[in-house]
Amino acid sequence: MEKEENNGEYIELAELDPDFKSEVMKHEDAKGLNACFACGTCTAGCPIHEIFPEYDPRKLAKMVKLGMREEVLTSPYIWYCTTCHNCEQHCPQNVKFFNILNVLKNMAAKKGYAPNAWVEQTKQIIKTGLVFTTDEALFKKRRSFSLPDLKLDGSKVKKIIKLTGIDKIKAQIKG
Amino acid sequence: MLPDKKKRIGVFFCHCGKNIAGGLNIEALIESSKQIQEVSYVVDNKFSCSEDGQVDIQKAIQEQKLDRIVVVACSPSLHLMTFQRCGEKAGIEPQFVDLIDIRKWTMHGSPQKIAPEKALEKSKKLIELAVKRMRLKRLIPMAEIKTEQSALVIGGGVAGLEAGLDLADKGYKVHIVERLPTIGGKMALLYKVFPTNDCAPCILAPKTAYANIHPNITLLTNSEVKSMGGYIGSFHVKIVQNPRYIEADKCTGCGECVEKCPVKVKDDVFSAGMGQRKAVYIPYDQAIPKKAVIDAQNCLYFRKGVCRLCEKQCPTNAINFGQKPKTVEIKVGAIIVATGFDEYNPTEKSEYGYGRYNNVITQFQLARLLDIDGPTKGQLLRPSDGKEPKRIVMIQCVGSRDVSTNPYCSNICCMYALKHAQIIKEMVLPEAEIYICFIDMRTVGKGFEEYYSRTREIGINFIRARPSEVIQDTETKDLSLKVEDPEIGRLLKLEAGLVVLSCATIPSSGTEQLSKTLGIKLDKDGFFKEMHPKLRPVETNVRGIYICGSDQGPKDIPNAIVQAKAAASCADTELRKNKIKLPQFIVNASKLKKGGR
Ligand SMILES: Cc1cc2nc3c(=O)[nH]c(=O)nc-3n(C[C@H](O)[C@H](O)[C@H](O)COP(=O)(O)OP(=O)(O)OC[C@H]3O[C@@H](n4cnc5c(N)ncnc54)[C@H](O)[C@@H]3O)c2cc1C
Ligand code: SF4
Ligand code: SF4
Repeated sequence: MEKEENNGEYIELAELDPDFKSEVMKHEDAKGLNACFACGTCTAGCPIHEIFPEYDPRKLAKMVKLGMREEVLTSPYIWYCTTCHNCEQHCPQNVKFFNILNVLKNMAAKKGYAPNAWVEQTKQIIKTGLVFTTDEALFKKRRSFSLPDLKLDGSKVKKIIKLTGIDKIKAQIKG
Repeated sequence: MLPDKKKRIGVFFCHCGKNIAGGLNIEALIESSKQIQEVSYVVDNKFSCSEDGQVDIQKAIQEQKLDRIVVVACSPSLHLMTFQRCGEKAGIEPQFVDLIDIRKWTMHGSPQKIAPEKALEKSKKLIELAVKRMRLKRLIPMAEIKTEQSALVIGGGVAGLEAGLDLADKGYKVHIVERLPTIGGKMALLYKVFPTNDCAPCILAPKTAYANIHPNITLLTNSEVKSMGGYIGSFHVKIVQNPRYIEADKCTGCGECVEKCPVKVKDDVFSAGMGQRKAVYIPYDQAIPKKAVIDAQNCLYFRKGVCRLCEKQCPTNAINFGQKPKTVEIKVGAIIVATGFDEYNPTEKSEYGYGRYNNVITQFQLARLLDIDGPTKGQLLRPSDGKEPKRIVMIQCVGSRDVSTNPYCSNICCMYALKHAQIIKEMVLPEAEIYICFIDMRTVGKGFEEYYSRTREIGINFIRARPSEVIQDTETKDLSLKVEDPEIGRLLKLEAGLVVLSCATIPSSGTEQLSKTLGIKLDKDGFFKEMHPKLRPVETNVRGIYICGSDQGPKDIPNAIVQAKAAASCADTELRKNKIKLPQFIVNASKLKKGGR
């Protein structure tokens, strides 16, 4: 049989990567994925989906199941999650989509797909142990409101980073 | 007692095709079994339960003069009787036939399957024990008992009534115990019933009315089973009849007392909280028996010692404030349990706002609102302001298929949502827009798919998605919810005047207590457990006690009726024997226990 020309009209099974799902599901956090029955409760309750319809938890869950590795991991939207946990709270099948998303983000980061802002922030956390840094301007402003100076100490977080090896992952971040 | 002579025990191995032989070294087992004390014959065959297999066993019993046998094959609940009958034909007392299950360890797809070496090891041990048990076993003396030609039915819903009527028509005396003041169960309150949309009370009435006058049926309403003892053929049951505070034989159901009673309360049972009733009330027009009942919790006389207006009003002097609970003791041959279901209370699914937002109601409540003889005389008005809703959204699977509440499918909710949508569109509010948000649409009964098609044809909107939450506008009390319609891949915001939750079907309150009283098991979801999910669907772990209707699992009326007829037939099969044999110790133990569990 002659091969039909396919210019993106349909997905060919051969293009899919069946190992992707099992790779994701190897993580304890993603074990519930197979239970998903595509009811869309997660999507309906997702505040990000409302603004960026392209980010769709129900669709992502299906894309992972089908094995659409590249599309999922390179999607910029998986980084838009606000971590509100709505999807997880209301899911009738206890799929924990939020946790699956974390697994996906980790996989994407290792591949170097993490967006720049995210990489920069990670670098800063690794360096300082702090999500936000402070400077004299901020203190000045606080003093004008009669608020005390902040003593921010990131050393414990830095210790955790060392112990868990998160900084090693950084080495693989190309961004 | 048998003299202690040497036994001649036969051990028979079944291959069950490849089911056993494929996962285990049977040769090795045969060799090791030959070494067991007092085993005088060991052989295998391909299918022991087949005709050839059974003839082989019988031949061996006679030729080898065996007096006890152990069949090593599959589950006793499936085949013990087969091999007992087979042995009996060759002259072996059924008690000396045993069947042990090793197939569960070897069969493909068995949840208990283990590695062949492990299976071999475990089988060896099990066989040794079974043979030892057979070697030491003494004959248990059997007693022949007379079966009472009567039955008790617990629950007077459509299932219980059907079973009771079948047995009564066959000639048995039947007692029907119903804890509410009227028989009829939920069906009496459904207005119309799918798939034909006929009037529910009208098609139920032939059963309730017949049960009321049947010479073989005694109705015990307002009553509950307190204790049970005995065994099949001879169950002793104590029933408590709670007072109506109305003498039933004097009450004509004229309703004069109801008219005069000054106390109005919410009717949670017969109006599902959508209407009111008096402290003295008659449940509904077609109630059977049509007798008034006083709700002592709300009656002024019981609360404060005043009033007694009903007493003055009653033309037949039927009111009797002094009535006390009455215990009735009966002896019956069989028991049929048909205690039905409750609608799941969705308050705990707080994201949908039930209990917080007045305009979020359940489908059972909607059924009461749609009923032209119901609390609103069939007007569909929203609870917050009594206005007609312009848009109605139904949410399916609330508390069903949800691992945080009930994991199972409640079976009937798709169909009753379609029914209510049809009724609203065609009979009540033709202008209203109706949306049904569902996960899967399950319409598998006879005529059900056509029912679904018809619902689409009349313009009901279907969205294959589940909303995440319902939000209320604090001023207008309008509701809004968002769902992602997968067909277009976009989020829809639905604003609705009324949201209806299709709630799960759960076992009726008191099911757990009743299971203890009767000694019958519950399944993992709290419904009564059948003996075998495929082959023995209405029998329980107690011989002589049967289950039917929605207490065995969620189901619609046609299926409840089928089970009711099956349960009646099972009871009849045992009772018509007139005499049955039971182990003497069961009969003795029950005599000692007197008064029951
Ligand atoms: C909203 C809604 C709409 C429905 N619409 C339809 C429809 O259109 N068509 C259809 O086929 N099915 C419909 N059904 C399903 C239908 O209601 C059931 O199939 C039917 O009622 C089952 O009958 P049952 O006798 O098993 O249980 P029930 O009707 O629940 O009757 C059980 C009876 O037992 C009594 N009882 C309970 N516990 C005890 C106890 N411990 N002691 C004594 N008595 C007890 C109860 O008071 C009750 O009278 C609907 C259900 C709902 C919720
Ligand atoms: S809510 Fe849960 S089951 Fe439903 S689509 Fe999302 S992940 Fe799947
Ligand atoms: S005595 Fe009780 S039931 Fe009778 S009328 Fe007064 S409040 Fe109603």
